[in-house]
Amino acid sequence: MPESLFTEAADWNLFDVNVRVGSSGIHGELALDTNGLLSEMDRFFIRRALVSHWESEEYDAALGNEALARDLDPRMTPAWSVLPDSQFVAALALRKPVAVRITPGTTQHNFSLAAWPSGEMFDYLQQHGVITLITVSDIGWPGLTMLLERFPRLPVVLLETGYRADRHLLPLLERFPLLHFDSATYLAHRQLEAFVESHGAEQLLFGTRLPLFTPAASLGVLASSRISDAARLAIAGGNLQRLLASAHFGGAL
Amino acid sequence: MRSPIAIADCHGHLGVHPDFPAYKASPEEMIAVMDHLNIEILAITSTLACYNDCPRGNAEVDPVLRQYPERFLGYITVNPNPPGQGVAELQKWSHFHSPPLIKMHPGLHKYPVHGKHYLPIWEYAHATDAVVLVHTWDSDPNCGPLLFPAIARAHPHARILLGHSGVTWRGYMQAIEAAESADNLYLDLSGSQNHRLILEHCVERLGAERILFGSDLPFLEAAMTIGRVLTARISDTAKEQILRNNFLRLVKKI
Repeated sequence: MPESLFTEAADWNLFDVNVRVGSSGIHGELALDTNGLLSEMDRFFIRRALVSHWESEEYDAALGNEALARDLDPRMTPAWSVLPDSQFVAALALRKPVAVRITPGTTQHNFSLAAWPSGEMFDYLQQHGVITLITVSDIGWPGLTMLLERFPRLPVVLLETGYRADRHLLPLLERFPLLHFDSATYLAHRQLEAFVESHGAEQLLFGTRLPLFTPAASLGVLASSRISDAARLAIAGGNLQRLLASAHFGGAL
Repeated sequence: MRSPIAIADCHGHLGVHPDFPAYKASPEEMIAVMDHLNIEILAITSTLACYNDCPRGNAEVDPVLRQYPERFLGYITVNPNPPGQGVAELQKWSHFHSPPLIKMHPGLHKYPVHGKHYLPIWEYAHATDAVVLVHTWDSDPNCGPLLFPAIARAHPHARILLGHSGVTWRGYMQAIEAAESADNLYLDLSGSQNHRLILEHCVERLGAERILFGSDLPFLEAAMTIGRVLTARISDTAKEQILRNNFLRLVKKI
């Protein structure tokens, strides 16, 4: 049953950039299989989602990608896992990726984002316009700055910036137009509204952090922001559609 | 999006913050947002007092309460670090509200909520039937939720709001466990981590009567917590209790 509080969102073509599917060893009861995820999306009028797999994030990148391929639904656009390994990238290229989610943390895939191990991987992602999702906690502000300086045409989507990010985030957004970020944790008082007033809506993407967070939070923020209809639609899904249209759908190395 | 229920909000602030820009944080801008979202009344604590200077912070709250008595209630914020200052502040600003609303921030003041400098304040709260909002955080040695049952049992007339309910999923579980063991502990829903299903857990374990809507406005966005409550799989009666009636009853407005 869709939530009546948000019926207006039925016309926004909501496209969620920050979603995971599958079982989780850490988040037990909150994890959702494909049907459960689609049902939760329906409650909040979310039509499509960019989805990665918990198995990729918590276990093995290749096995996780297989699980993601198995669990996909037409409403889900895959955000594959990727490693800085030429054979892995070659295998990924066969999937014609439009998006990846990088999890380099020491308890995850445990690699450096520096040029010496990861340069070839980022070369591929930039060359093919692959949307590259990464959380702030995984890359840090100095790491993100170095990555954007080396790969200024890489469409990075920074996830889970947190609400304390603006003194780092805003200068980087001004400097790197292909840097985008998601709204799942951009939750300070009237922060989204103030961002649109000062920077426009183009670099902000609707994200929920499903299945861990309820979409009611970021949808509530978007729905209650005193911004133009055009800005709201851009954040809701238009900006992500534009980014996806720019991806080159992978290809050979 | 606008709440169909006029909200009584137990957790708000007055002021700015050091680590990120404050947006639309003047009392007038806050009231405009409250009108937009249907927050009828907001209980505020001085952010300056939480971070740095209680006497000056509480003094900033006073004129706002006088100017907007129908929209704001005022917490008196206390700092245990200058011993004796807390009770002096409670006495100085006792006209803010009756029963007193007291705010403690053991996290920012870096002093344990069960430490001896807080004891006179807990005794004051017990003696005056005060409502005490305390910042809490998962397992924090200064303000972890599991520190509170002993305090609550020792001061049964104090009504203690566990600010943010421990924040994380595990923190919420600790806050629920604490509230199960002391009837004068309450959960405040303000916070930036919008866990799916958490409110349903809280209501199932505690009932709706001791769960309060808090926004943390103008620190955090009120709309996210309004959305969480109004879309939770709980009864409409429970939503009205959480969004409005529980806090109004505590502050004796109904």
